Amino acid sequence: METVLQLTDVSKAYGAVKALKQVSLTIPKGSVFGILGPNGSGKTTMMSIVLDVLGADTGTYSWFNQSPSSADRKRIGSLLETPNFYHYLSAVDNLKITSAISGRGNDQAIDEVLEIVKLTERKKSKFSAYSLGMKQRLAIAAALLGNPEVLLLDEPTNGLDPVGILEIRELIKRLASKGITIIIASHLLDEVEKICTHVAILKRGNLLTSGPVDEVLSNEDIVEVSAENMDALKSCVGQIPDVLSIKEDNQRLQVHFKAGTAKMEAVNQHCFNHGITLNLLLNKKKSLESKFFELTND
Amino acid sequence: MLLLLKIEWLKIKRYPAFWWMLVIVMLTYPSINYMFYNVYTQFTQGKEMTNNIAKMLLGNPFAFPETFHTVAYFSSFFVLLPAILVIMLITNEYNYRTHKQNIIDGWSRKEFMGSKLIDVAIISFVVMVVYMLVALAFGIYADPDNMGRIGEQLHYIPMFYLQTFAQLSIAFLLGYLVKKAFIALGIFLFYYLVIENILVAYFKYKKIAITRFLPFEVSDNILVAPAFSGNFGKDAKEGYELALTLVGEQIIYTCIYTLIIWLICFKVHSKRDLA
Repeated sequence: METVLQLTDVSKAYGAVKALKQVSLTIPKGSVFGILGPNGSGKTTMMSIVLDVLGADTGTYSWFNQSPSSADRKRIGSLLETPNFYHYLSAVDNLKITSAISGRGNDQAIDEVLEIVKLTERKKSKFSAYSLGMKQRLAIAAALLGNPEVLLLDEPTNGLDPVGILEIRELIKRLASKGITIIIASHLLDEVEKICTHVAILKRGNLLTSGPVDEVLSNEDIVEVSAENMDALKSCVGQIPDVLSIKEDNQRLQVHFKAGTAKMEAVNQHCFNHGITLNLLLNKKKSLESKFFELTND
Repeated sequence: MLLLLKIEWLKIKRYPAFWWMLVIVMLTYPSINYMFYNVYTQFTQGKEMTNNIAKMLLGNPFAFPETFHTVAYFSSFFVLLPAILVIMLITNEYNYRTHKQNIIDGWSRKEFMGSKLIDVAIISFVVMVVYMLVALAFGIYADPDNMGRIGEQLHYIPMFYLQTFAQLSIAFLLGYLVKKAFIALGIFLFYYLVIENILVAYFKYKKIAITRFLPFEVSDNILVAPAFSGNFGKDAKEGYELALTLVGEQIIYTCIYTLIIWLICFKVHSKRDLA
């Protein structure tokens, strides 16, 4: 698979604080790559390094399998941390500067992206007069300008209202279906889970795991069952081979299997054979949230 | 290069402070020169003997070709006005975090600093144009009969530009390194108006001849006081002649200082974390 971005042993320290510790990561072309981590885990630092805003102490990175240069960044639409624009300029004038620097887009493309983020009516207003959500929309418009082949979005739904969040999510899905590579840093797990194909989890500068969402999440299968007689059920499912553990939770049993070994029919059959009729049988994939807490909890 | 110029002009042309600076410069340059012009006419218009002597000594510093020299000298007192703008233009980039965004959008570090160099060049140019217009206006107004000599001292135009560019480069360096507009401006003002004057007075008192190498003095000495200042006795004449002979050296030193300033900026920016 073609690689869009490759990091090799990238480290960065701010004085005594180690923000990134030997992070290595590969982002394949066409993926929607979520970078997760609690506040202060190094997400923004990592993105700043690959955009040449910060210099790495050690390690290297490459875009499109080339040694880093400013030409790479012209191919990447980026939103880093906050919307950064000239306060005294209008949305259109700000995007003209973005366009002139990046070489992406023209006057028509500016109108198009402003339409996508629904700022057309306010396109002549000064940036300083914008609300937080509008500023964020403009930053997204700047990233989208001229259809870059890669989008790098740091907390793209910051400051947006629920409708705005939904719109951005739909937009990202639409762009992803066109084959654009999208890299999203976020602490909103729900957001990442809904749209990402790949995920990396950072904690205090360490990369805990990375890979396709399915692989990262499913090192265990979970089957949720419930019956009238919970004690009998518990002893019954305990006899099923491949069961790793059983947790009782709110009148339900969560039965953990090794990845790929849970067979719903077999569980149902087993219980029935032992005289227990299930009133609930659920194949529960581990949510990204529980995985995230599991990995990032001390 | 042309693209950088175009982008910087996009940033500058809608910046209100730029137009304010221009208006204030356009008011200040004629005013300060008109003030001295008035003093001159009062001295020389009377019918008494002293007035005639004054006229003889002073010549007409505002007629062609002297006007280019005189107006350059008086106007250059107000480098502070464009300096404020230059400091704002770089500290704005920090405030708006566009110093990061410009890089993210695809400029190299070198291109960013190049664009700032262009900013300082543009501001110096605009200020120079105002100075030229004021000098021309005074030349025509003060003595229309001298129009024929208009071309004799045009070299003061590039010299004015160099002095302005050199001193604005110092302002830029401060803004670039300090990042905060008010602090940078404070340091600039305090050094320009107080510290360097104290140093000049001190070294003159001690008779140590290094004042002409101080950061602002080095370019101040490109535009020596107008020619009439050399007409008040032997000492003044010698001082004026000496200053004139040193102008060539001062130009070279100024170029070296300015080059060093920009080398520092480019060097620092190639490595700096853009926080």
